[in-house]
Amino acid sequence: MVSISAHDLRLVYQVREKLTLRPRDRRMTRTGGTISGSGSRRFVTALDGVSFELSAGDRLGLVGSNGAGKTTLLKVLYGIYEPSGGSLDIRGKVDALFNINLGFRAEATGRRNILLRGLINGWNEDEIGARTEEIIEFSELGDFIDMPFKSYSQGMGARLAFSIATTLEPQILLMDEWIGAGDADFQTKAKRRMDELAEKAGIIVLASHQPDLIERTCNKVLQLEHGKVVRFGPLEVQEKPAAANSA
Amino acid sequence: MFKILANAFADMAAAYERRRVWITLATEDVGDQHRRTALGPIWLLVNYFAFAATFIFVFTPNPTAEFAIYVATGLMVWNYLTDCITQSVTLFEREESFIKGTNLPLSAYVMRLTLQNLIRAVYAVIGCVIILVLAQVNVTWDWIWAGLGLVIIVVCSPAVIAVFGFLGVFFPDSQFIVANLMRVAMFATPLFWTHEGEGGLRGALYYYNPFTYFLDLVRTPIVNNAIPFTAIGISLVFTLAMWAIAIVLLGSLRKQVALIV
Repeated sequence: MVSISAHDLRLVYQVREKLTLRPRDRRMTRTGGTISGSGSRRFVTALDGVSFELSAGDRLGLVGSNGAGKTTLLKVLYGIYEPSGGSLDIRGKVDALFNINLGFRAEATGRRNILLRGLINGWNEDEIGARTEEIIEFSELGDFIDMPFKSYSQGMGARLAFSIATTLEPQILLMDEWIGAGDADFQTKAKRRMDELAEKAGIIVLASHQPDLIERTCNKVLQLEHGKVVRFGPLEVQEKPAAANSA
Repeated sequence: MFKILANAFADMAAAYERRRVWITLATEDVGDQHRRTALGPIWLLVNYFAFAATFIFVFTPNPTAEFAIYVATGLMVWNYLTDCITQSVTLFEREESFIKGTNLPLSAYVMRLTLQNLIRAVYAVIGCVIILVLAQVNVTWDWIWAGLGLVIIVVCSPAVIAVFGFLGVFFPDSQFIVANLMRVAMFATPLFWTHEGEGGLRGALYYYNPFTYFLDLVRTPIVNNAIPFTAIGISLVFTLAMWAIAIVLLGSLRKQVALIV
């Protein structure tokens, strides 16, 4: 059974500062995690006591201001960052779409990137080959598929990334603000595909600053501020104060 | 300590599991570096010949066939070692896109660079063989020891790449320090000069330089038709030490790299 169970997740890391004679800017910002310590031993608490449970069919919208910890949480869920504390239990095959420029080979063609992403996700060449045409068709890139990835616009990159990730049938799909790059037609197609994925008992976690996108796509919302959960619950009740599980 | 070892071996096992990724990336890397050039990877052969010819004909007043063999074999190993070390210091920085966008293990990037440098080394091997043929070298059974030497060098290289890779992440200045040291090391290593048992600075540079022993692993059996026992012993100890350091670093720091690069 596909599920994500996070309990009291914490991510604290040390800020590494170079030796410099320049005065440092110590002003606190509204964004980012909590900075503690001083001098060369400063720590950022990027995630602090994050707890939530997701089960098959859930589509979670991650919201919060810039630097609230949305991408950090996605990267912890994907295994790029290791949590400093708490427990995380993920059941299911995970794929993630972060910034379009991450995880792709700029010099290689779109077609080669399909192969590379498939291999990275643990598929073999035959399995990827059997799905390549479907990926190209869904992405609507046409002849551009044999052009280098670095020649793609943001939207084209997003199309390819989304097509690869969803055609290779992940059970859990993590997405970070990628969809804004696609045009309206593609967003409609993408929405339909995400619904299909969720209907197949998958889980989607989508970080976004677009409330309408979250409303159209998700059934649950988790709001982060300064690395802490401000609210977590069904989409309909998101305007209510933070639920008990955010405490 | 058990957790560190478990982490390191889990990372290496994951890299083995996804070996198709780094094999594919490494084979594309060499082609990509020369994609828009007329000669393509043949430039690697040209570079090798340019260096070898400079050392053989410019730095020596009366070059002999034996000296040409000495330089050709030494340069072949030196090119591989220097490529591994200088490129590894910026390895994880260059791989930022994959490190922050995928969950590939760090060992996959280490193996990508190792394989990439091995492919590049093939061109130096071809150049070396051409020089050996031109110098009319005699092939003897001792050459098997040179083959063993190459195996030791290849086995050592992922560990060296990993150690310098971590060094580059945690001490960014090290990329400039290492680049400068490697430039100096080219002159401080018996690459185009020989050691005839004399002491002084030249003797110290010969005996206290790990590169000497890695070069001798391959060079001694071919040039002197002798078994390089000392070089084999020292390079094996060095290889084991580098692997021990690499495993400890990998096990304890691998998850911090994504937060720093």
